[in-house]
Amino acid sequence: MTPETLHQELLAAHTARDGERMIALYTQAADQTEDEDEEMFFLTHAYIFALEAGHATAPILRARLQEKGRI
Amino acid sequence: MARDLEPTALDAVRRPIEQANGLPNAHYTDPDVFAMESKATLLSTWAGLAVGADVPGKGDAKPIEFLGIPLLLLRDKEGTLRVFQNICRHRGMILVDAPKKIRGAIRCPYHSWCYSTKGELVSTPHVGGPGHNTHEGIEPSTLGLIEVRSHIWRDVVFINVSGDAPDFEEVHCDLLDRWAEFEQPHYHGGPESKFILKVDTNWKLAVENYCESYHLPWVHPGLNSYSRLEDHYNIEEPGLYSGQGTLVYRQFKDEGKAAFPDFDGLSEKWSTGAEYIAVYPNVLLGAQRDHAFAIVLEPVAHNRTREHIHLYYASEDTKLENRQKNAAMWKEVFEEDIFVVEGMQRGRAAPHFDGGRFSPAMDGPTHCFHDWVARRLQAME
Repeated sequence: MTPETLHQELLAAHTARDGERMIALYTQAADQTEDEDEEMFFLTHAYIFALEAGHATAPILRARLQEKGRI
Repeated sequence: MARDLEPTALDAVRRPIEQANGLPNAHYTDPDVFAMESKATLLSTWAGLAVGADVPGKGDAKPIEFLGIPLLLLRDKEGTLRVFQNICRHRGMILVDAPKKIRGAIRCPYHSWCYSTKGELVSTPHVGGPGHNTHEGIEPSTLGLIEVRSHIWRDVVFINVSGDAPDFEEVHCDLLDRWAEFEQPHYHGGPESKFILKVDTNWKLAVENYCESYHLPWVHPGLNSYSRLEDHYNIEEPGLYSGQGTLVYRQFKDEGKAAFPDFDGLSEKWSTGAEYIAVYPNVLLGAQRDHAFAIVLEPVAHNRTREHIHLYYASEDTKLENRQKNAAMWKEVFEEDIFVVEGMQRGRAAPHFDGGRFSPAMDGPTHCFHDWVARRLQAME
């Protein structure tokens, strides 16, 4: 997914308040970037929406943030 | 200080019932007095807020305003119910704006600080800068949701907003003892066993009307056909509660003459007896052999009250149709009271009303409540 497509998808997910989709898209955004700060920024968003939803990925995302000393 | 709040006016309320006057008009008509009186009677005591059945499931959250204070009724993942101030510790944003099930955490809609269902602050995204979710100046363990002291009795959620009232069990030990036989499961009858009455009256008038039996033959002639005035007795516990009891409680029975199951192990007194007590300040309770009710008075304004009425049964296994009929019967009774509490409220606009005089024989429970209000106000001065 191109950054622009991803951006549009994220906006649509926000508008729809689709938590599941936001977790997936922010995780993907984190995975796609090579900049660590950008990765942690997106990962933070994925984690927060996962935490809110009680989503199964929340502990995994948290562990990734923890590994980089970001939480 | 307003003329009506001069010490002499409260002293007149506190005289023996034979000489006492009721609370002056301003206690029903003046928004400033309402605010002051709320501090003395509703915020510094154990006031009724809601019922546990409002948040029946784990993770259920319900925002409630109490005297303008945004509160959150929240049942955690283990089933424990707590009351919090419904605001984020970051910028004071309202956290939950409609009843919902919290699946994971409560996320503030502003900057996404997150709280567990126990009220702990569990995440502070970007608080140390983009992608940095901690900061040495922000200690999550000190920034949980602000809990409001609460106590649940007969499924009613009582709160002490000021946080400094003696424990609920200490304050109400006499009443807990009086109704100790009913310390057993009470099952909410479900959606058809709750209703709200919006009444244009000061909350105190709803208490005053509820706790005396004097009006029954005039306002509830249907009840009086079997429950006559002389079958009732006054209940007065100065400083705590008051109400009335009946010696001739008649159970609801369906067309097949089947009654609701009784609470277990009740003594003989309750075979034909029932009691209706106003737990000061704003909770009206009914205890009967086969079902109970709780009315939580929500003081909306000096002249507006919402009555939240809930019916409870001794068993989970009761017929829906019977619960519906029973709720309809009680709704009719409580609706019969509306014109009197609204009429007394309108009457408080009469400038020369002196608070009224009490029947020494019949109005003891009402005077007991007035005395409590006056006592709380005097203690605050």
